[in-house]
Amino acid sequence: MKQDSHPLVVSVCYVRLSASELHASARFAADIFGLQRVAEKNGEIAFRSDNRFRTLSFSDGLSQSSSIGIEVWDEQALDQVEKRLSRNGFAVSRATAHDCQLRYVQAALLASDGSGNSIDLVARPTQSGRRYFPSRDAGITQLHGVGMRSTDLDKDLQFWKELGAEVSDWVGDIAYLRIDGLHHRIALYPAKQRGLLYAAFEVETLDNIMQNSYFMQERQIKIVQGPGREPCSKQIFLHVEGPDGIIFSYVNGMSEMGPARRPARQFPLVPESLCEWGSESKDVPELSAGVD
Amino acid sequence: MINLKDVSYVRLGSPDLESAETFATSCLGLQVAERGKKALYLRSDDRSHTLCYTEGDPKDQAVGFEVEDEDCLQQAAATLEHLGHRVQAGSTDDAARRKVRSFIGFDDPSGNHIELVVRPERSGRRYFASRDAGITGFSHIGLNSTDPARDERFWTQVCNARVSDRIGDIPLMRVNAIHHTIALVRAPHAGIQHVNHQVQTNDDVLRSFYFLSERRVPIVFGPGRHPTSGARFLYFKGPDGMVFEYSVGVDEIEDEATHRPRQFGFEPTSFCMWGSKPAGMALPSDQ
Repeated sequence: MKQDSHPLVVSVCYVRLSASELHASARFAADIFGLQRVAEKNGEIAFRSDNRFRTLSFSDGLSQSSSIGIEVWDEQALDQVEKRLSRNGFAVSRATAHDCQLRYVQAALLASDGSGNSIDLVARPTQSGRRYFPSRDAGITQLHGVGMRSTDLDKDLQFWKELGAEVSDWVGDIAYLRIDGLHHRIALYPAKQRGLLYAAFEVETLDNIMQNSYFMQERQIKIVQGPGREPCSKQIFLHVEGPDGIIFSYVNGMSEMGPARRPARQFPLVPESLCEWGSESKDVPELSAGVD
Repeated sequence: MINLKDVSYVRLGSPDLESAETFATSCLGLQVAERGKKALYLRSDDRSHTLCYTEGDPKDQAVGFEVEDEDCLQQAAATLEHLGHRVQAGSTDDAARRKVRSFIGFDDPSGNHIELVVRPERSGRRYFASRDAGITGFSHIGLNSTDPARDERFWTQVCNARVSDRIGDIPLMRVNAIHHTIALVRAPHAGIQHVNHQVQTNDDVLRSFYFLSERRVPIVFGPGRHPTSGARFLYFKGPDGMVFEYSVGVDEIEDEATHRPRQFGFEPTSFCMWGSKPAGMALPSDQ
């Protein structure tokens, strides 16, 4: 029997963040943003957003660094990824058993993209037998994707292309990267400093986006941008300011790409390319499309 | 029984027709159908007009409802006179000013001026908006009531309105399949509380929120979603303090025979399920 060819990478499966104030960050994730707090181990507090054992964790700022987890198809795919990345000069190393334990995965490759962002390529991330039960009704259904700050766009693009990602659309030099049937799971934003720009969590409906928007306003939590809608992906979003300046986003309604391939479209770097409704970001340069 | 088919138009007095036109075209997004000496006709859909500003006192307001034909109009006049309403038959000139074949005027029990019209004009040319607000048509009104229970009896027993839902003792009433065409609002005096236009999509509601905010048009409620009709909404203030609403996704009542009005508590979440709070707009009080 002929096996179907499969992609190398499957999903964005976790975000690990080092926090300057661990417990304040944990309170934000559970009480404000609405994730389910699950475990506290090795100075790390973990949260669920879906059927996975954890998709977000905060660790004490001094002991560990931040990283993004990308699930690869299986262990063979991990070998393949290792070859491809090291051949192209990207720093990769095999995770120790301890590293894997911290990440709740069976095997991992610790890599750096062109900007120096830590990307964990992981095999067999842990799922949970119990269904997801959050602390409040924010409507979250899954960790959907991430926005990364890029200081070396060409090299970062090469990194993701080695993993099989493709550019769906451009806004100026902002690149939306596709790894599955959806418009994008990863977006690269040209920036002065590397790091995670946002972690996006999908919610059930527009209602949840709007309810969360009023929830944040009432608690005087800063909304960085939105409610808004990305014209490229048709995704509705609300960008909320989280701990240490990381943006936590609620998203819904991203378009699917369909089987027919098309070239990446170029949109100009103007505010209406980032939000077709008219919301603007005042303080985050990566999201303000060159407007001061 | 007076059989109302649909709401046809709203007439609003205004001392400054020029400002009214600026707002109607650059903010609300209607199409100017005709500029008379003392009247401004505006379109929102296939009809020749659905909103008319007349030079005068903002307290001079009227809502027009369509009835089937001349016979129905005469029967309605007789019914209303029998109940003690003063009924004025519209002159030919006044009918022409309303772009209808004939009409009568009377006051509802709260004192709102209501007109019943026969054969309101449609336009051969399609509606072409002045700005891309996504308007698909004039749809309903909020009407002040000094006694909602009494006025509900008037609209449902003398006329053919049916209650779709209630918030406290405030009825949302339909005259066709659309969830509501008349929403009564408790107030100390008569008046039109808001004028609703439907838009195409959610996107239009949110786009207008940012568009109008940028132009400093007072947003008085929303963006929000009514749990009663399911509509996503935005309320904002126009000339002479009149409140306009955009909404999308108003439910239709599918089974006329078996629909029972649902009772919602008189509390903020009954008006908006997203959590928006009215600001600078009188929400109906329950007292």
